[in-house]
Amino acid sequence: MTLAPAENFFLPGAHGRRYCLYHPARGAARAALLYVAPFGEEMNRTRRAAALQARALADAGCAVLQMDLYGCGDSDGEFGAARWDIWLQDLALAHAWLAERSGCAVGLWGVRLGALLALDYVRSHESAAALPVARLVLWQPVLRGATYLNQLLRVRLAADMLAGAEGGDSRRLRDALRTDTQEIGGYALAPQLADAIEALDAAGLGVPAAPVHWFEVTAAADRPPAPPAVQLAAAWRAAGAAVHLQAVHDQPCWATPEIAECAPLRAATTAALAEAVHD
Amino acid sequence: MYLEEVKTLLTDVLNLGPAGAALDAGSPLLGALPELDSMAVVSLIAALEDRFGIMIDDDDISASTFETLGSLADFVAQKSAQ
Repeated sequence: MTLAPAENFFLPGAHGRRYCLYHPARGAARAALLYVAPFGEEMNRTRRAAALQARALADAGCAVLQMDLYGCGDSDGEFGAARWDIWLQDLALAHAWLAERSGCAVGLWGVRLGALLALDYVRSHESAAALPVARLVLWQPVLRGATYLNQLLRVRLAADMLAGAEGGDSRRLRDALRTDTQEIGGYALAPQLADAIEALDAAGLGVPAAPVHWFEVTAAADRPPAPPAVQLAAAWRAAGAAVHLQAVHDQPCWATPEIAECAPLRAATTAALAEAVHD
Repeated sequence: MYLEEVKTLLTDVLNLGPAGAALDAGSPLLGALPELDSMAVVSLIAALEDRFGIMIDDDDISASTFETLGSLADFVAQKSAQ
């Protein structure tokens, strides 16, 4: 049986349409994953690795839906109009569509800030009437939104430096961002979105009820994951969660200027999913 | 000592491959390495902080720090001594 080609289409959502790419599973779907992309330029850089991963998962019997969130990619809306709450609604929309289409309980596969969005979605989606979340697959999740926002501000400072400007200050930039949209790495970041990102802390989002497959990329072969990841995984385990934290020696495709395909990360992720679905 | 370690880290973060090994203290970074864009600068800063246990301030994100491999290694040596 050959792998069916991916289907692209638009789903109607709040404030316009969302571009979707659905990768049907080879044969009957045994699992389904909803991809939650990283933020801004990280999303662009991850596009190739994510497409290859989606295809590999589909080949292994796991249907994958990739949706461009509001204001991102080919979906309607300007990036500057994107809001965290709209993105949470988008995930609910995609979740329902994928559950119906695949016939499987849907898991979430979040990359970087997308992983934090997935965790926030799980927490905000806990009501009894909500669709279940089968599993969480996390690629190098952003754990503290405040730290991440500071890095975004530094991207702007670095861009200013590269352009020959001097004397940037992230505190001043943060203050300006409280009232006015600021351009960060080519993206218009709105005050509301910056505030929402800054307020999020993975440790404060509760313990995931679904199994977690957590992958951290490391620059050397035998290096353990970063301490904050190890600590949060341990805390979740102590609270009864099933957490598989794995370090993979690979390139961080969301950060590398050259497009990275992340074959080792893909192999590890596909193997983890195949094993989980067999259990 | 810092020069070699910083060179290795820079090569890893920017994925320079063999071209990274050819860098020396006088090699210009800013404006000379197309791989060193704004996101790469921030990734590099985070990697330097991790590796050397230093804190890099906003003020340090300046042309004088990132001018050459040598200036970057000197900067790391100075921060590590603090």
